[in-house]
Amino acid sequence: MMLASLISAIFTQSLTFLPLALGISISYSLLRATDMTLDGSFVLGAAVFARLVTLGISPVIAGLCALIAGSLAGVMVSFIQRGGRVDPLLAGVLATFILTSGNLALMGRPNINLLTQHTLVSTAFAQSNLAGWSLVALYSLSFCLISCLLVRSRFGLMLRALGDNPALLKRLGTPVETYRLLGFALTNSLAAVSGILTAQTVGYADVGMGFGMTLTGIGAIILGQQILRAMLKRTTLRVAAEFSACVIGVLLYFFAMNGLLRCDINPVYLKMILGIILIIFLRSAVNPNQKRAQS
Amino acid sequence: MTPTLLDIHSVSLTFPGVERPILSNITYAVQTGDFVIVLGSNGSGKSSLLKLIDQRYQPSSGKINLDGKLLTSYRDKSFHCAVKTLTQNYHESLFTSLTVLENYLLIRQQYEPNLLAIKTQHESEFLQTYLSQFNTNLSSKLNQIVDQLSGGEKQALALALTVLYPPRILLLDEHTSALDPKSAEQLMSMTQQITEKYHITCILTTHDLAIAEQYGNRILALRNGKIHHRIENDKKQDFNQENLLAACY
Ligand SMILES: Nc1ncnc2c1ncn2[C@@H]1O[C@H](COP(=O)(O)OP(=O)(O)OP(=O)(O)O)[C@@H](O)[C@H]1O
Ligand SMILES: [Mg+2]
Repeated sequence: MMLASLISAIFTQSLTFLPLALGISISYSLLRATDMTLDGSFVLGAAVFARLVTLGISPVIAGLCALIAGSLAGVMVSFIQRGGRVDPLLAGVLATFILTSGNLALMGRPNINLLTQHTLVSTAFAQSNLAGWSLVALYSLSFCLISCLLVRSRFGLMLRALGDNPALLKRLGTPVETYRLLGFALTNSLAAVSGILTAQTVGYADVGMGFGMTLTGIGAIILGQQILRAMLKRTTLRVAAEFSACVIGVLLYFFAMNGLLRCDINPVYLKMILGIILIIFLRSAVNPNQKRAQS
Repeated sequence: MTPTLLDIHSVSLTFPGVERPILSNITYAVQTGDFVIVLGSNGSGKSSLLKLIDQRYQPSSGKINLDGKLLTSYRDKSFHCAVKTLTQNYHESLFTSLTVLENYLLIRQQYEPNLLAIKTQHESEFLQTYLSQFNTNLSSKLNQIVDQLSGGEKQALALALTVLYPPRILLLDEHTSALDPKSAEQLMSMTQQITEKYHITCILTTHDLAIAEQYGNRILALRNGKIHHRIENDKKQDFNQENLLAACY
């Protein structure tokens, strides 16, 4: 019984987190930008969705609006760092800074309860937990699938080229800023998808719910990449492997977190311990950006 | 009379805060088909001259014409098609974390804006044939990541991709200097093969006088940012290494 609840906790949390992790993976590994905006877009997705639903708007339309809001956050951050004048990391922090008050303004209060609301998955959950989670899985995985197909296409090739050598890509006559904008719009809408799903499954939207998400995501992804590299005995991963790395990393992360919680660790120390584990992963990993600077 | 392809007219280059001009009063004309070797000690301004020609730097005074028109009057895209640069630093010309084929596709899409019209299968056959004309085994490594190629292979790939759509002028800044003697020689003969086949005018900087002797048909020697010495193609007897060493440094 203990084990079953542990496993279901890991899977359900991973499901809602996966789109965000994929977004982080695209920005971190492909675009080579650590986009902290994802913290903010995650909340933005949840906030827009929750607010619209409580206003009595259909959950489908609310979901679409939340998705668009997420992509607009991506557009915003790509404008902030346009032309390389603001460091990408700083641009992301700035965008999240702006979004913190934006999200609060949108929600009108720090927390919106969704338990009594009609949402995208509420009918399914009313039937059974399994039906509910299957629907969540369907939403989550189909967005992941679409993004994977996009990343495997020529569009994805452009994003990888942009992350690798923007100066060269520009000299080849490619509108690099357009691709940067589209890339960030994609990753931030994935974060919004995670936010929308999380809000519905935990039953509320909260302005603070995105805190540390990007950081955790990067940690999980790096962990997954390390494991996959060791398994495949390769130093570089291709697109399909990157996504598998995401899945593995996310599952392991939630395994660790739920495991710690069940070991009666005081939740106060949870972030500290996870942070330390993260540092260990980051230090042992081959950072693609760092490798570039050295060579 | 053949028209002047590239006309550098009393060009100077200064940087704010740098007292001595990097280049001063350079006047030089390059004709179609020339293979110009630029010599000079470290810091004499060779790379800066090439950067002026490919517009990475703008002259502080003087002007540079390509086909009788100011460089700055060309649109970005047509200029980048006409003048291409390869340096010893292959990072500048390759996407090193992508495969050989992907690098090719990215260059291809510059000339074929409809990305979806580019069929990968068809293109990989074309690339294989294209690469196999050069004396390298790159054609068997289409799906290898560029980072995992040897230095010589990377430089050969960079050259092959740079001339995939042949430019009018090819600027080579010590492109063989990081290679072992044998790879350097291979790359130089590949360079010659390409410039002859596609009638590309070439300006090459080097510290290797053997290259100057063997491949150059004109020599331009710089010292402290000024033209120190020049040898034209009617003085073939002056192209030996001892003479170059004595006259150019
Ligand atoms: N962007 C710049 N700002 C300031 N000074 C510069 C700049 N670029 C070049 N210089 C200076 O111009 C001079 C000529 O440099 P350049 O790179 O053209 O020499 P070079 O002949 O190519 O030398 P080498 O043989 O070592 O490659 C050097 O003294 C260099 O410090
Ligand atoms: Mg130089």
